Amino acid sequence: MLLDRRIDVDTRTLTPAQVPTDTLRGIEQFLYREARLLDERRFWEWDSLFTDTGMYWAPQKHDQENPFDHISLFWENRMLREVRIRRVENARNWSQQPQTQTAHLIGNVMIEGLDRSGLLVVSATFQVSEWRLEQRQLAGRYTYKLASQDDGSWKIQLKRVDLINCNDVFANLEVFV
Amino acid sequence: MIPTNEQIAALIREDSVHKSVYTDPTLFQLEMERIYGHAWIYVGHESQVKNAGDYHTTRIGDQDVVMVRGANGQVNVLYNRCPHKGAKLVADGDGSTGKFFRCPYHAWTFKLDGKHLSAPLKSGFEGTCYDPAHPDFSMASVARVENYRGFVFASQAAYGPDLKGFLGGVITSIDNLCDRSPIGEVEVAGGVFRVQQRSNWKVFYENLHDTMHARVTHESSVEAARSEAEAIGEMPFELLIMDGNGEPYDFWEKLELRAYHNGHGYMEAIFDPAAAERDEVSRAHFDCLSQAYGEPRARAILGMNRHNTVIYGSGSPHTVFMQFRVIRPVSVDRTMVEIQTFRCKGAPDAVFDRALTYANVINSPSSNVMPDDVEVYARCQEGNMTRGGEWISMHRYVGTDTPLEDGAVSTNGTSELPMRNQFAAWKQFMTATLIAKESTHAA
Repeated sequence: MLLDRRIDVDTRTLTPAQVPTDTLRGIEQFLYREARLLDERRFWEWDSLFTDTGMYWAPQKHDQENPFDHISLFWENRMLREVRIRRVENARNWSQQPQTQTAHLIGNVMIEGLDRSGLLVVSATFQVSEWRLEQRQLAGRYTYKLASQDDGSWKIQLKRVDLINCNDVFANLEVFV
Repeated sequence: MIPTNEQIAALIREDSVHKSVYTDPTLFQLEMERIYGHAWIYVGHESQVKNAGDYHTTRIGDQDVVMVRGANGQVNVLYNRCPHKGAKLVADGDGSTGKFFRCPYHAWTFKLDGKHLSAPLKSGFEGTCYDPAHPDFSMASVARVENYRGFVFASQAAYGPDLKGFLGGVITSIDNLCDRSPIGEVEVAGGVFRVQQRSNWKVFYENLHDTMHARVTHESSVEAARSEAEAIGEMPFELLIMDGNGEPYDFWEKLELRAYHNGHGYMEAIFDPAAAERDEVSRAHFDCLSQAYGEPRARAILGMNRHNTVIYGSGSPHTVFMQFRVIRPVSVDRTMVEIQTFRCKGAPDAVFDRALTYANVINSPSSNVMPDDVEVYARCQEGNMTRGGEWISMHRYVGTDTPLEDGAVSTNGTSELPMRNQFAAWKQFMTATLIAKESTHAA
């Protein structure tokens, strides 16, 4: 199910898209809110920003084409995201005592275009300071596939997290980047 | 000051070990010389260097080495050092060096077996002892290299048992991993995770066969998997492999812990012929192996229901889910683990998909299971730095294990036999009795 090759993770084959300024501002605010939910560990609310089939993906390789024939740092559907949330919220989560704290900084938000299904592809550069016993810096680029909703809001069909050190030696990554 | 053999031997009792084996930097340095300087250590799989000139760097203990495919197809293991000024010849990682190594500092070049090829402006060496044929002007090879079914091991000692002799009965885990391919071959595929632990390397080996920790340490991921399964009304593979740690004590008591000389061993469930047909992926795999080997042998291969295997000093192959967690000591309180995933050549794609999923869910740095392990290892490391006590217990079922000619087997799956066995090997290496014995043999 997770390695279903029909899941479209292509964020390169795009058609150009023009977006009005207020829509762009709305998308920026959406991304900032998403980051704030992570920083405040409001993970269930964060997960609700995804569509039912939405995927969270952090490749392990630079320019990784897909999560199907290569390992990924994260490749999670709603089930696996919920398991992660349940675990970090469990009382006996020894490795979350003390818990991970983060501050996300997001910038360079760009409209990339439309994918084959008409989803809006948006990218942003991020810096995440993460602390648990010691502090580390995570940085890279997010690429989103956003699905517009009837009420004018957005949902995430894909969040791709390209870390600049994706193939590095890592201490555990316990919370979403 | 370097401790005497008597002082080292006194750190290991039949039922306990002194905490300094995890915390003393002097002992760590001695381990690098006496264990990693002698034992056969897994360097990598030959599939990581497919063509002549392909290389893969890693470490044998504290030594930077490069595994490289030679022009004749043979896999060489060389110290990553130019004999001129000492520069590492290739950067850490994987790549191809072409037909020869060329030092980035002064362009000395070396063949793929490390032998000196050339140096610029040779006239400057006239009248000196420069001799391209002398080993001092070549890259040094690690003393012994053996390739068992594609698994490349090296020993920094010129003497001692051969690889098969060193591995003993644990070699059957490598066999089973390979036999799961209809042509008997596996390859490293899909990338390699690297994970850091804030603890001494030995605690990970002990934990691999520590059946008493599973349901305690992993309570958070077991409960998370179970509550998620309840919420969605099914327990797919991704949740099942997290749920397994939550088995009750009597499940673990029934397992069999097998210990071999030199610290090796594995944890085995009772042979399960039904394993060949327990799910769709296994059934497809079984059909494929049946065609290659016939049904009885296919059933025997897939029915070998082994959990973690320990190859002491190298790491832990997992034969069922096609992984090898390679354990590399970094310092007395830091360890790096390289996690390889294997493709069974010729087996259905679903077998590799399952291995990849296992790697992503269980062995990735983002695993929901591993952080609680890594956390308790780090707590042991820090707790053992206190003055709160000197000894570490490995008392469970001591004196009840059944001795065998080539090792021992537990009478109860919660026995701490594997830890006692690992430290028996540790003591032997560290007090050089094994080495002395081997030297006599060699002479």
